[in-house]
Amino acid sequence: MDESPDSKKAWALSQKIFPILNDFSTCNQEDTFFKSQFEELCNYMQANGLQDFLQQLIINQVEKRFRDEIVPAFWSYFQKSELHNKDLNQFYNAVKSLYDNYKEMDKITSGLELFRQCTHVTKIPYNEKTINNALKLILKATVLAQSPLNYQAVTLSFYETALRIEDVDSYLGFDSGHCAACDQDSCNCLHLLQETNRKLSEMNLLEPLVGQTFTNLSHKYIYTHIQKMCKDNYDSFITRLETWLHTVVIVWLRKMYSFDTSICLNEAMDTFQTKLVNYLYNSYTKIRINQLFNIVIEYPESLPALEDIRLCLPRTDLKPLLMKKLQRAMETRLLHHGVSTADILTAYVATIKSLKVLDPTGVLLESVTDPIHQYLREREDTVRCVMSSLTEEGPNDLAEELHKRGAVDENINVEDGDDDWETWTPDPIEAAVSPNPPKDVGSRRNVDIISMLVDIYGSNELFVNEYRNLLADRLLSQYTSDTEKEIRYLELLKLKFGDSNLHFCEVMLKDVVDSKRINQRIKEDSEYSESIVPLSTLIVSQQFWPPFKEEKLELHSKVAEQIKQFTAGFETLKGSRTLCWKNHLGVVNIEIELNDRTFNLSVSPMQATILMHFQDKDTWQLEELSNVMQCTASLLRRKISFWISHGILSETSIDMFSVQNVENKNLAKVVFCDEDFEAESAMASVQDQKDEEFQNIWTYIVGMLKNLDSLPLDRIHHMLKMFAFQGLTTECSPSELKVFLDRKVRKRLLIFSNNLYTLPK
Amino acid sequence: MKVTIKQWSGVASWKWVANDDNCGICRMPFDSCCPDCKLPGDDCPLVWGQCSHCFHMHCIVKWLQSQTVNQQCPMCRQEWKFNNK
Repeated sequence: MDESPDSKKAWALSQKIFPILNDFSTCNQEDTFFKSQFEELCNYMQANGLQDFLQQLIINQVEKRFRDEIVPAFWSYFQKSELHNKDLNQFYNAVKSLYDNYKEMDKITSGLELFRQCTHVTKIPYNEKTINNALKLILKATVLAQSPLNYQAVTLSFYETALRIEDVDSYLGFDSGHCAACDQDSCNCLHLLQETNRKLSEMNLLEPLVGQTFTNLSHKYIYTHIQKMCKDNYDSFITRLETWLHTVVIVWLRKMYSFDTSICLNEAMDTFQTKLVNYLYNSYTKIRINQLFNIVIEYPESLPALEDIRLCLPRTDLKPLLMKKLQRAMETRLLHHGVSTADILTAYVATIKSLKVLDPTGVLLESVTDPIHQYLREREDTVRCVMSSLTEEGPNDLAEELHKRGAVDENINVEDGDDDWETWTPDPIEAAVSPNPPKDVGSRRNVDIISMLVDIYGSNELFVNEYRNLLADRLLSQYTSDTEKEIRYLELLKLKFGDSNLHFCEVMLKDVVDSKRINQRIKEDSEYSESIVPLSTLIVSQQFWPPFKEEKLELHSKVAEQIKQFTAGFETLKGSRTLCWKNHLGVVNIEIELNDRTFNLSVSPMQATILMHFQDKDTWQLEELSNVMQCTASLLRRKISFWISHGILSETSIDMFSVQNVENKNLAKVVFCDEDFEAESAMASVQDQKDEEFQNIWTYIVGMLKNLDSLPLDRIHHMLKMFAFQGLTTECSPSELKVFLDRKVRKRLLIFSNNLYTLPK
Repeated sequence: MKVTIKQWSGVASWKWVANDDNCGICRMPFDSCCPDCKLPGDDCPLVWGQCSHCFHMHCIVKWLQSQTVNQQCPMCRQEWKFNNK
């Protein structure tokens, strides 16, 4: 600074007028000055061209003041402690002190403004329009530059309280007179809020300081609100949520911004609102997608929720997420060993139905159900489950599907016209990325659940065979079976699987009907007498029934006599034909009278035969009886245990059984161990049939190895595929083949070394 | 102990009493039906010739119709005569 007396005087004067040029300690003193003094300073400064310099000096001081004193003081409020959340005062006090200081500074700048006018300073710091704007800019810059990392925690809790005051409906637990913030009847919470906002707005700090907080807070708030609503509730919420958003969140935001003059309120609110609505849809869809598995399982109760998702999907671009999430949920919750096949099928049907709601084109369905298909293919009892639920009585998705099938067919043909090109829409983009080659669009659109299930295996044959087995079992176990009902089912299945495939079953049902007639005719014959055993016979056309389990059994002579008579009757009735009896198959209604009790039971022929033998002779040696009945001792023992469990026979000594004429009271009620044994199928099991097929393959393999010496597994499989698999019902996978070959290796019929199979020399 | 059989429901399969299993013409089992039929047994019976060979009736009739000159048994080439036993 110049040492001339003039300049000294001018400096003193400027210090007096702008006390901020002094040390901080003195700046708060209320210095008075006179207009003449002010004019003198102005003249001096102007004369020396120092007005710009003085302005810069003052601004520097203001900045320094903000930087070193005011703003640190403001932020120090935030570090004090984790005050309890509902306390509004922490933030309010911070803002208030900042505001007071700001006002102080404002006073200085208004002095400066006056000075500028007198001295005609044109330059304004930071290119702002007014000094006041520059001040605000400095304040904003300083505040933001020094903001601590976690300051949002404080603002967040402050405004959360504010929002809670707004959202009265969600907090009905509070008395309306109560303040949601401080739990007191009368408080100044609202006032505090308004003051804070007004002050922040005036300092132009509202948006920079807490704008982000508003966004975060409203997002968080919306999310929790949706979550609360959607929990275990599959109603439609989207319209309700949108109204809520407008009446609560938007209104609240409007209030918050109402003092802010720096922005155009309506315009800003509109963009904010669009963003929030978007966010609302997004979060809602995400939450629903996370629940989707449950929603699917709950179908059709969850239909409203599904409709919501369908509405939201086009707005949110969340389809890929949906697919991924649902697939993952399926894998973790459905496709494992803990779930029974029937349950998987139910879930599968629900999935098909509900995804049809979400995406009528079926592309979504295809990609989501792919893992289910693959899994079901691995389960052994899938086919049986499908077929039995198809033909079961009672409420059952698949059976319903079968019944309505006929009607659906025609509708599809009508709506699937190609000439409807104006309403044509391309397949969604996901179609291209789905792992399966895109099928005919038509086939994808008319999702028919049964066909989809059948398609899992690629052929009808398995299902038809299974149905044949099921039907055979049913017909054999219930002699009084309702053939009309079965015929009706058969007709329905024919629509599905084709006439020719079910031809066998038709013959089977005809056999049942014919048998009744033949039985009657034979019994009318005068030569036939039913003196010994009332006999009725199911006469089957062996070629059309599935292979029966073979078991040897010599019937009791009385029954054998009756059977002989029946056969004779049949032979006279149907020339050149005779009967081959399946002694072990059938049902016997039997009445057992003991000294103190009687039983009425339906048992297998073998069990009946055992008792008939015991009627002749009270005590039998196991060996002896097995010789008479022509069956193995172990099987016989199993069957006898059935009677032991009924308390009719007892094992008096090892392998020695006798009739228990008087009930043994000491014997605790034995569990009916034979129950599941009784439920066994009369048909040869799938495994048996498969083994038989493998036996055929074996001859091919031996021939192959004789000619080519040694072969690796995949070569064998490949060659079998070319030559041997055509006639088989199921194609075997390389792994199955390996199991089979390894069994042969264990039996020393093959040698396996260096990954090559060879025949032993 | 007294055991009374109230009802014995047995199972038997019927079969043709013939000296072969398969029809010599269509190679289908006798107990099944000829390729043109759907239902076995009464609807697709067997017939015997005097040469003791037997066929599905439909099969042999078809065969005989296709023979313009001599009506011979396709198995033994003897003249075909139905054995109405």
